[in-house]
Amino acid sequence: MEMNCQRAEELITALADHELSELEREDIAAHLRDCSGCRLRYQQELALKSELRTVRDATRAPARLREKILHDRRIFSPAPTGLAHRFLRPALIAAPLVLLLLPLLYFMGPAGQPIALIAVRTHEKIVKGELFVASGGSPQEIKARLSESVGDAFAPMTYDLSAIKMTAVAGAPLEWHGRKILATIYQGGGATITCYTFPGGDRDVPPKVDVFYDPDKKAEFYLYSRDGINLVFHREGKLICILVSRLPMPELLGIARKS
Amino acid sequence: MAHLDDLYRIAAHLGHGPGEAEDLVQETYARALASYRQFEPGTRLKAWLAKILHNLFYDRYRRAKRVISLDDREAGGCGEKLSAVAPGPLENLLRAERSEKIGAAVARLPDEFRMAVVLVDLGDLSYAEAAEILSCPVGTVRSRLSRARQLLRQQLSDYVLDDENEKKTWK
Repeated sequence: MEMNCQRAEELITALADHELSELEREDIAAHLRDCSGCRLRYQQELALKSELRTVRDATRAPARLREKILHDRRIFSPAPTGLAHRFLRPALIAAPLVLLLLPLLYFMGPAGQPIALIAVRTHEKIVKGELFVASGGSPQEIKARLSESVGDAFAPMTYDLSAIKMTAVAGAPLEWHGRKILATIYQGGGATITCYTFPGGDRDVPPKVDVFYDPDKKAEFYLYSRDGINLVFHREGKLICILVSRLPMPELLGIARKS
Repeated sequence: MAHLDDLYRIAAHLGHGPGEAEDLVQETYARALASYRQFEPGTRLKAWLAKILHNLFYDRYRRAKRVISLDDREAGGCGEKLSAVAPGPLENLLRAERSEKIGAAVARLPDEFRMAVVLVDLGDLSYAEAAEILSCPVGTVRSRLSRARQLLRQQLSDYVLDDENEKKTWK
């Protein structure tokens, strides 16, 4: 069916937005070849989109809004202070010698406690500065040192969190119930995420938790919250990954699903 | 903080004033945290947050039948956006002026058209995501966007159509 210019109008809008089906694209392409008026309309559509992008790019959330959200106790607890703040400050990344020279220590988890609970409590200790973590070095160096600490039997799960301005700033090899656990601490924007990686299986799935199934990854994510701290637990092959943070659960889940 | 800028962009063009926009975004994060169990795996987090924000806006401003005057929208809706553009070189000033006029043109659109432009063009959401948020078919989003952009082109002909001949063709 031959297309008229009136019908082409909507298709031109959708064409500029890359929202057409293949069939529709072919239809409008054929019409544009024959109709100079609609070709001009398409150019105008692209020009307008470009102008709207200018408005979009010029609009940024003000810094005071970030501050307000970070201090909203419904969303975040107060930012870490004191020892934890000093240990995890990104500025200390510039001190790789700390990581290179200090022996790697294992930390025992309290006997008998479920892993999810240990993960939450360990995260709290790290944030409060009650548990030593080796800071310094690039994320790659932190990963290499952690892998080395377990004889390269496995490597810590890593995340590119640059989009939310977070980066790996520290690492710690731990031991819970005789099992070796690698903890990577990410920090940025006043938030902290602890990522635990260890070999495991179904028996490690925390009981009484919410489960989300990701159809794209064909993976289950187990969600657990305690005292305002959120935890997302999932398996990647033979490895278990646990993310713990005071970030909102949807945000933490989104990060876990990007692993 | 995931999607903060995108949510703020949407709020700044839905609400009427920087303070209102900030409040909308802050409340959106609080509501998302309280209802994270409703998040459906396989869907985009940004779209889910945008829906919460839109519903919040709807609850506050539409159901209360609060009148948003054109003057309010022009005075406040885009003010925060402009503050993000640093004053200084002529180029920045021209860009700010251009951005102001485009923002004002968006604010003048009828609500249903404005919503489509705000979600798709400023919030960077897909047609399907915008349709989900607006509770309408994807085809409706497409036709509203098409109509909205026609109106914007008419208002912004000085910017969108630089060539005199093109202006005549269009008009």
